[in-house]
Amino acid sequence: MGIVEEGHNVKVLGSGDEIIVLAHGFGTDQSVWKHLVPHLLEDYRVVLYDNMGAGTTNPDYFDFNRYATLEGFVYDLLAIFEELQIESCIFVGHSVSCMIGAMASIHRPDLFTKIVMISGSPRYLNDEDYFGGFEPGDLEQLFEAMRSNYKAWCTGFAPLVVGGDMESVAVQEFSRTLFNMRPDIALSVAQTIFQSDLRQILNLITIPCHIIQSIKDLAVPVVVSEYLHQNLGGISIVEVMSSDGHLPQLSSPDTVIPVLLRHIRHNIAQ
Amino acid sequence: MRAGLSTIQQTLTPEAASVLNHSIADAGRRNHGQTTPLHVAATLLASPSGFLRQACIKSHPNSSHPLQCRALELCFSVALERLPTAQNMSPGLEPPISNALMAALKRSQAHQRRGCPEQQQQPLLAVKVELEQLIISILDDPSVSRVMREASFSSPAVKATIEQSLNSTPCSVSVSNSSPIGLGFRPNLNRNLYVNPRLQQGTGGGVQSGQQRGEEVKRVMDIFLRSKKKNPVLVGESEPEMIVKELLIKIESKKLDGVLKNVEVIRLGKDFSFEKGEIVAKLRELSGIIESKMIGNGGVMVDLGDLKWLVEQQLSLGVSNSGTVQHQQVVAEAVAEMGKILVRFGGGGGGGRLWLIGTATCETYLRCQVYHPSMESDWDLQAVPIAAKALPGMFPRIGSNGNGILSSSVESLAPLKGFPTAPTRRVSENMDPFRRMFCCPQCMQNYEQEVTKLAKEFEKSSSEVARPSLPQWLHNAKVHDDAKTVDQILTKDQDLIWKQKSQELQKKWNDTCLHIHPNFHQPGFGTERIVPSPPISMTGLCNPNLLARQPFQPKLQPNRNIRDTLQLSTNPVTSQPSDSEVSPPVSPVRTELVLGRSKGTMPEKNQKERINDFLGCISFEPQNNFHELQSDKLLNTSDADSFKRLVKGLMEKVWWQHEAATAVATTVTQCKLGNGKRRGAGSKGDMWLLFTGPDRVGKKNMASALSELVCGASPIMISLGSRRDDGDSDVSFRGKTTLDRIGEAVKRHPFSVIVLEDIDEAEMLLRGSIKQAMERGRLIDSHGREINLGKVIFILTANWLPDSLKFLSHGITLNEKKLASLACGGWQLRLSLWDKTAKRRPSWLHNEERSTKPRKETVSGLSFDLNRTADDGDDKADGSHNSSDLTIDHEEEHGFVNRLLLSPSTSPASHDLLNSVDGTIVFKPVDFSPIKRDIANSITKKFSTIISNGLSLEIPNEALEKIVGGVWLGRTGLEDWLDKVLTPSLHQLKSRLPTNASVTTDESMVVRLETDDDSGIRSIGDLLPSSVKVAVEGL
Repeated sequence: MGIVEEGHNVKVLGSGDEIIVLAHGFGTDQSVWKHLVPHLLEDYRVVLYDNMGAGTTNPDYFDFNRYATLEGFVYDLLAIFEELQIESCIFVGHSVSCMIGAMASIHRPDLFTKIVMISGSPRYLNDEDYFGGFEPGDLEQLFEAMRSNYKAWCTGFAPLVVGGDMESVAVQEFSRTLFNMRPDIALSVAQTIFQSDLRQILNLITIPCHIIQSIKDLAVPVVVSEYLHQNLGGISIVEVMSSDGHLPQLSSPDTVIPVLLRHIRHNIAQ
Repeated sequence: MRAGLSTIQQTLTPEAASVLNHSIADAGRRNHGQTTPLHVAATLLASPSGFLRQACIKSHPNSSHPLQCRALELCFSVALERLPTAQNMSPGLEPPISNALMAALKRSQAHQRRGCPEQQQQPLLAVKVELEQLIISILDDPSVSRVMREASFSSPAVKATIEQSLNSTPCSVSVSNSSPIGLGFRPNLNRNLYVNPRLQQGTGGGVQSGQQRGEEVKRVMDIFLRSKKKNPVLVGESEPEMIVKELLIKIESKKLDGVLKNVEVIRLGKDFSFEKGEIVAKLRELSGIIESKMIGNGGVMVDLGDLKWLVEQQLSLGVSNSGTVQHQQVVAEAVAEMGKILVRFGGGGGGGRLWLIGTATCETYLRCQVYHPSMESDWDLQAVPIAAKALPGMFPRIGSNGNGILSSSVESLAPLKGFPTAPTRRVSENMDPFRRMFCCPQCMQNYEQEVTKLAKEFEKSSSEVARPSLPQWLHNAKVHDDAKTVDQILTKDQDLIWKQKSQELQKKWNDTCLHIHPNFHQPGFGTERIVPSPPISMTGLCNPNLLARQPFQPKLQPNRNIRDTLQLSTNPVTSQPSDSEVSPPVSPVRTELVLGRSKGTMPEKNQKERINDFLGCISFEPQNNFHELQSDKLLNTSDADSFKRLVKGLMEKVWWQHEAATAVATTVTQCKLGNGKRRGAGSKGDMWLLFTGPDRVGKKNMASALSELVCGASPIMISLGSRRDDGDSDVSFRGKTTLDRIGEAVKRHPFSVIVLEDIDEAEMLLRGSIKQAMERGRLIDSHGREINLGKVIFILTANWLPDSLKFLSHGITLNEKKLASLACGGWQLRLSLWDKTAKRRPSWLHNEERSTKPRKETVSGLSFDLNRTADDGDDKADGSHNSSDLTIDHEEEHGFVNRLLLSPSTSPASHDLLNSVDGTIVFKPVDFSPIKRDIANSITKKFSTIISNGLSLEIPNEALEKIVGGVWLGRTGLEDWLDKVLTPSLHQLKSRLPTNASVTTDESMVVRLETDDDSGIRSIGDLLPSSVKVAVEGL
């Protein structure tokens, strides 16, 4: 097993010909795909990995400079592609990984056949003519809360993001993976994510994109999916699901998994 | 900015982008306003295996020694340090890319496009700038090539080298170039470019790029298979051990084919190197073991481990000469013994073959070459350079076929054997106290480089022996080693020429140093401190260990510098207090009126007395350690020297606060020496002083004087309280929080004195931040950014007065507030002649406004009354303070002080502050009556020298107080004012006096210096009137 595979806990499952790469978002790890993976094993070769900084990765590998921009994560992804010698794949990204995958597709469009974006956003901050959902002041508070008491922040943040009560399994699960992250790394990643602004390069993304989105999502307002649809460089399709929260594949698998599978299996009609 | 940067980065390959990122980070760290090509060049150089470094080495006409690059690095670090720091950086931004760098990036893009038309199939990021192209464009930058020139590298030559290597394939380099160095820029083209460097680095070597290490292992295996030079020594930092480990595991697991299939491994344990005396015996033992293992095995491999045991003893300074010699003999014997073993089993005839494998750092290996010149051939060694991975993943490793830098430098060392030495001469010359270097470490190193080069040229011309320029320690080692073979047949002429040339060089670097490192030469930190220790410069030249030690680190802190120097100095120059400058001891309670005339320094014993007095009269907690400090540290005469200079300077400016001046000087000196109260030795550079007490002028002047003396500039005043003095009008500060203003000031002036006024009035949060900054040495501004406090001296001022000193302010009727209200506003003075008997007539006639003069003016023989405290009801009308007002004022003030100082529970922050600062200096309340008296005396004296006919001068109290206020708060000295303003008026008065009247009326007439209506103009900031009207009336 190569160093990249080891570092990112890469797992390759399934027996299909087509490769599908599942990339998790902030505060989670590859376990976020647990409801989806069983449905894919027969038809696809499923590649699972953890982003650097996730609780399951070695914190020593987390280079604060490298991951001060999303580019660091993009290179990681490309490194995995290279090491596994993936030449073509369907990329399913959640949250920040949507953008990581999209950026990677700018570098290497040849590697992607399509990108499925779940709860992705090119920009989380509000701007003139853009509604990202967050005001700069909100973020300052958020970061400050993370700095001062990470544990407390996790317990508060998890139900908000997942969109359920503290008791729900999904919230518990997300709290677990979130709290697994080392606090300073979590803060750094959160800052990287919230400071990222990919609006200018959306038009460079030429790979077909399937934009999937909960109707109610604290982190990503529904209008963002429309913004993506309008601004992506290639063809795209938007599906807004009736689910609640930023991690629909975890919190409401029953409604979300069928939607995901549909988007994975079928391409956008030309 | 980020978006801009990311688009730029898209045009670069990951390697090049990573270089750019590192450079930006570097610029950010250095707090520079922009990222310039210099940053990029420095980043490129910083990687030990980087292209730029290799290309530089290769291009250098004189030498290919890797250490030559050190000069280049130093030049770059000097150049970077000279760049301006950021002025108006907006929060959270990285230093933007400078125009020059942007141009270089564009150039590299253009080059790249021209070079690689075939890459057009990638439409979006069609052309990615390779690292080489980036380097070439950076080399084109004028600032970079200037710095390279300084280090005697030619950027066009380096550029040519890189271009050449780009055009030719790595393998064919040796064909086109006579130099044996193969740059091998891209030996590993199919490397995974995207990998996180940390993954490659691994932790503790656990995770390692299998591909890369495999390659190294394979190289070593190939060496084993050779018949000659079959024993590899892996040379590099830390990396080799991992490779050896992996290799030996492979061999032991017997998974290999061929000759290595059945090989036994013997490891010389770590203890082997410890028992020096028994090395030879141990080796004989080893020989037996090898013999027994040979039987039935394909061969034996001896793992020698790190070779440093062969050379390390010679380096330690502590060993006496005989010990060294003895040890050398032992090691030499061991080397010979090992040689014998190799000969014995080397034939391969017996059972199997014998291999050695070892590791060494580059330095160790070179030393082995010097100390044991025959070792390489006797032991049949082959050096295998293993590149270190400072920036792994960014740069490919050096040539994979063994012809890297190292082996070439090893070859170039060959002619070194038995060269005649100049170094002996040089060392002795440096011992000569008159020809000492007065340079900072950086320039010293540069100087050394040049001397070495000069020596080389010189040797060439004199003895026709070509010598590469080598680091000093190599010369020296040679001297040690071949002492008998030293050839000293140089003629006198040659000696003379040598002397001249080296002196020229010395002068050149002294001047350069003076020019570019003025800080180093500042009084108190620089030359004088270094001078008493000539042995240092000498050892610095010849001992590599010392060279690496603190005093010669380029990024030295001045205080550390002094300290280390002093510790090292063998015979510090004793200071000679000049008797002529000694002023008589003055009681600390008395206030002297010298007004800038005092040139006398206090003798040391007086200082001590004074401090003891000072300690006696106050029992303020933080002060208690003065005595300790005084006794344990200041006894060092050299410290005392700078201490005295400080005291003298401070006393001149703030003559009325002797104790405070001494205390400030003590504290500052202690802190500079690293003995600040808060942190022990090895402290940060910042310093925090608390000036407390009601004497605002004293505190302010003290801060100014300190700033002038220490930094050569005026202090930055930031008011934390409600008071806004004149210095606050800086427009750029508007709308910023005080904390950010402090941060800004620190950023802009990292070597300044910053006065934070009225800390006692600061809000809680601000106080908390300041306290935090004190503790951490970093200030966190309102944006959460951390600002390093650098070498700033912070002075906090407060109004607090310890209880024990309260009594001093009782009975002082004239305080600063009153003085200020008296002195401000345009008042004028006039000289008038009065008839003693006709007291009031003129005032009725000529003062149409309210009379401002006191009524009881001519009571006693004294022409002015000092003891008058109360003014008349007249004065009350204009709101000026009368005595009862004053008392109330005072009470209020005391109440305030009490609250702050007596009850720490009400303001814990303030109490904490008292405990966290480096020193608290109490400014006692000033009693103005002696000052008033002295001023009056001076004026009267002036008067009587000019008007000598017995006329007396009368100065009404009000006028006198106004003058005192003007002198106190204004910028004009009393002497100045007397000479320039009063004297002409007095002369005028004298000329107008009736010649005979003076004789007759001296009993009845009196001259009064009194206040007049405002009519004159005065310069801004001047509180004394610029002229004195002469009104000879009443005659």
